Amino acid sequence: MIGGKFIEGVGASTLRVAQEVGGIVVLTGQVLRALFPPRIDRRELFKNLYKMGNRSVPIVVLTAFFAGGLMTLQAGPFVKKLGATSLAGWGAGYAVLREIGPILIGLMFSGRVGANNTAELATMTVTEQLDGLRSLAIDPIRFLVVPRVIAMIVMLVALTILGDFVALVGSSVVAKAMLDIDFSTMYYSFVDNLTPADFLHGIYKSIAFGAAIAFSSCYFGVTVRGGAVGVGKAVNAAVVAAAVSIMLLDFFLTYLSSH
Amino acid sequence: MTARAFVEWKDVTKAFGGKPVLKGMSLAVNKGEVMFIIGTSGVGKSVTIKHLIGLLRIDGGEIWFDGQRVDTLPERKLAPLRKRIGMVFQSSTLFDSMTLAENVALPLRKHQKLSWSASLDEARKRLEQVYMGEYSERYPAELSDGMRKRAAIARTLALGPEVVLFDEPTTGLDPVSARRVDRLIRELAEKLGVTAIVVSHDPPSIFGVADRVAFLYKGVVHVVATPAELKASEDPVVQQFIGGKSSGPMETPGF
Repeated sequence: MIGGKFIEGVGASTLRVAQEVGGIVVLTGQVLRALFPPRIDRRELFKNLYKMGNRSVPIVVLTAFFAGGLMTLQAGPFVKKLGATSLAGWGAGYAVLREIGPILIGLMFSGRVGANNTAELATMTVTEQLDGLRSLAIDPIRFLVVPRVIAMIVMLVALTILGDFVALVGSSVVAKAMLDIDFSTMYYSFVDNLTPADFLHGIYKSIAFGAAIAFSSCYFGVTVRGGAVGVGKAVNAAVVAAAVSIMLLDFFLTYLSSH
Repeated sequence: MTARAFVEWKDVTKAFGGKPVLKGMSLAVNKGEVMFIIGTSGVGKSVTIKHLIGLLRIDGGEIWFDGQRVDTLPERKLAPLRKRIGMVFQSSTLFDSMTLAENVALPLRKHQKLSWSASLDEARKRLEQVYMGEYSERYPAELSDGMRKRAAIARTLALGPEVVLFDEPTTGLDPVSARRVDRLIRELAEKLGVTAIVVSHDPPSIFGVADRVAFLYKGVVHVVATPAELKASEDPVVQQFIGGKSSGPMETPGF
């Protein structure tokens, strides 16, 4: 009996996930179709670029600085023990550019921008503002969703680039302050050991994470049902979906690049 | 009359979650007419008008506008129809993130290809016409329901629609604001020849503004009549509704 209920539960959850994934795929298709011809509302686009990008800078800088520092701090005892200070920058830089930068900034971005976006779209949906747009012969996908998707992808990439740089600075500052490794040693360690491929690997990831956050946050926003409770559930679902997608995408992109 | 009807619902059915709301509803509205759709809450009045511009899809039947069948049009082909038929929602549906002027300017900017500043100038003029000029730079959340409603009307009229759907335009308004909205609807019809389809259960509006009234009951149009005919009707259900009596033959699900 309990086993039956368990299987029933697994089945129901699987169907729900399949439905949500299907919905996100359909929305992605609609967004892509709305890009041809690319009549994007520039005012909405710039407004979102500013709101989503510029205003995320302080939190990204703060997070990235300490994340970079942390990499050096963790590697510090081993580097010191082996006397391999020239590799300290490589270790921190490799981890930051390939993994920590895109994933940490992606998750921060999802929590700050993705959740906000879902809440805003969901509130507009439950207060019939989307129907209001449709009644004015304005396509909500083209007017609201497309600029948001573009803004999120562009800004996550930009913030990842900024975050990568700040994290490398953070790791150098921590190396100097706590491990007494010179800035120049760290600099040459970065320059000699890190390659453009390491940097690009992180950027590819940030594009994928940006798309995952954008589509899931918009999808749960425009498909919300049931007033204020529904808005809360939508935000919750969007943040969970984005986090799970980021982890899965990270795994597959890393796997693909290593093969 | 059917041949010349400007807007027509033919035998329309619609159910929500298996529960039928419209059960073969038919109604014809003539050009330039002010038609009121009345009935108890939940009877399907708002649903009826939302079907006309494709915000909801009917389960069965047909909807016609100006000689064209519109219920079968896909979403992307509804834009020309929605420019000709405007809708004022019960909850105004102004965009929170925009000032009143930006709200009214949006359809002008999108469809009449006006520049940002030209559309805002035009929007301010439109807001003046509904006595909202001094509030044009304010955000919807800062204003009362009545003010939002007037701004929403200005936005809907921005594209010069031939038909305007009003969903309970006077609900929640003080009596003075409500009568101003009534007067505006009447003026639209008389001065501009706009066809108005108004969902309402506000008796002063019904008897002061309507050319004809369609009484929706049990998922069909129970009666279509002029306000005078409605008042004189001996139908006990009609009498109970317009008299606002709590007891009588009327079946009101949920009560």
